[in-house]
Amino acid sequence: MDSQIKQLHQQLVNKEISCTTLVQERLDLLKKNTYNSVNSLLEDTALALATKVDAKIANGEEIGLLEGIPFGIKDVYMVQGTYTTASSDLLKNYKSAYTATAIQKLLDAGAIPLVKENCDSFGHGSSSENTIFGAVKNAINPELVAGGSSGGSAVNVAKDYTVFSIGGDTGGSIRQPAGYNKIYGLKPTYGRISRYGIMAYASSTDCVGPLAKTIEDIRIVLNVMSGKDGKDQTTHTSSQINEEAIKTNNVKTVGYFKNFIDNDAIDPKIKADFLAAIEKIKATGIEVRELDFFKSDTLVSTYYTLAMAETASNLSRLDGTNYGNRIEGENLKDTYSITRSENFSEESKRRIVGGNQVLSQGFSDEIYLKGLALRDQISQNFEKDFEEVDLIISPVTPNSPPKIGDSLKDPLAMYLSDAYTVGFSLGQLPTLTVPQGTETGLQITAAKNQEQTILKFANFLKETI
Amino acid sequence: MSKIMTVDILSSIKGAQPSETVNKLFEVIKNAQPNNNNSSNNVNYNCVSVNDLREDVVIESPILEKQIIKENFPKEKNGYLVVSKVIED
Repeated sequence: MDSQIKQLHQQLVNKEISCTTLVQERLDLLKKNTYNSVNSLLEDTALALATKVDAKIANGEEIGLLEGIPFGIKDVYMVQGTYTTASSDLLKNYKSAYTATAIQKLLDAGAIPLVKENCDSFGHGSSSENTIFGAVKNAINPELVAGGSSGGSAVNVAKDYTVFSIGGDTGGSIRQPAGYNKIYGLKPTYGRISRYGIMAYASSTDCVGPLAKTIEDIRIVLNVMSGKDGKDQTTHTSSQINEEAIKTNNVKTVGYFKNFIDNDAIDPKIKADFLAAIEKIKATGIEVRELDFFKSDTLVSTYYTLAMAETASNLSRLDGTNYGNRIEGENLKDTYSITRSENFSEESKRRIVGGNQVLSQGFSDEIYLKGLALRDQISQNFEKDFEEVDLIISPVTPNSPPKIGDSLKDPLAMYLSDAYTVGFSLGQLPTLTVPQGTETGLQITAAKNQEQTILKFANFLKETI
Repeated sequence: MSKIMTVDILSSIKGAQPSETVNKLFEVIKNAQPNNNNSSNNVNYNCVSVNDLREDVVIESPILEKQIIKENFPKEKNGYLVVSKVIED
């Protein structure tokens, strides 16, 4: 199966390329790139690690599959000693004291981190414009947004600056930029990969996941990062996915949400392309069923209500006391509020204030608790669907990527653009974006812990549509 | 005695006001009719079993970790964190 990781591994083993050359070439590309995809480069450590890999190869020692493979990390992950800014003023000089579990597993496997990647500040955005490092430009058309919040990660993969990147997905932040930049991006089942060391946005939907150019690379990286972790007690044990297991498709029934397609909000071209993809799937003998689902505005509102409540709570720790860009006021409370007012972006402030609104007395019953009840219903709906179908396919977004600048002017439009991704986040389901079917790709979703079925079907789709 | 706290106080953000855009999202929830108004949280059940809790042990942080934590202090004096003057309301 196509795999950049395997191809590079073979080149390293055959001494067709040195690891130092490979890493230096990618660093050079990242340095001179004009897409604003980089927050900081990890040049010295990357080259030091590459030298060690070269020494091992020169000594005739065996190297692991990921050893020497350059990758990128969204700038919300702790990597000890590196700046971890969350693309924010508040943390622009913050250094990680420890390393996230998922990243540590990749380091232990020998992969080499090159870059902390630009993203929406604290994951607050769907365009990677809400950042102090400049809006990330789309890899295919630089006048358009890269998508978000893992926009820098998607662009680095799409432009071959990194072999794979690690993004974070709370409501679509891996899947949507993957779709906008025509690559693969996986949001695994909630709890499959440890969240320890990712800066928390909305803890009940935050997921760690890979972005890459091939299904096989997604599989390899997913296997390395997965597993139970005592430092994140919502994690669970999962099985490794073998290459052989995803080669042959045995999916018999897929479903799609009729109301996602039959409405005025979807771009006519995306609708037509999606329905054409459905016809091609039907032509292979797979049964396709139409499913009922919640209205888009209910999904978006439920997600944002809960995500804002959780982010208001999670970000309350950022007050400039122990770390961060403290701005002194007359006293402690004044210092807190000036620090937070000056250092959070408008979008982050909007979400924090919204979260505190719904959590406050008088509002929590009619908004927050009702949101939780709706989430239960949405999740129950998925359970019922997966008794009928093996997979659900859907477009990634209702529209094509907007121009840079447009999303900031119209936050409601930005929230609504997440209509097709947030439901699966609320359901904590595994979902993969594939760069096929529509201009912004397709999502393949399965029941919890069925990533293997998704990857199998993605392989099948590669040949089918 | 309960005291009414505005969102700028709750959020520790000077001059913060509720957003009209966000209020539109909340209106959708207010008008929604869930079939059960109390979340039972029995679908996405992520809690760890009491039989599976991790050991309650103290782990000494490595020297490098402690050093970076100190580097991140906005104000530091003799290795201690310096905070602003605390006032009592």
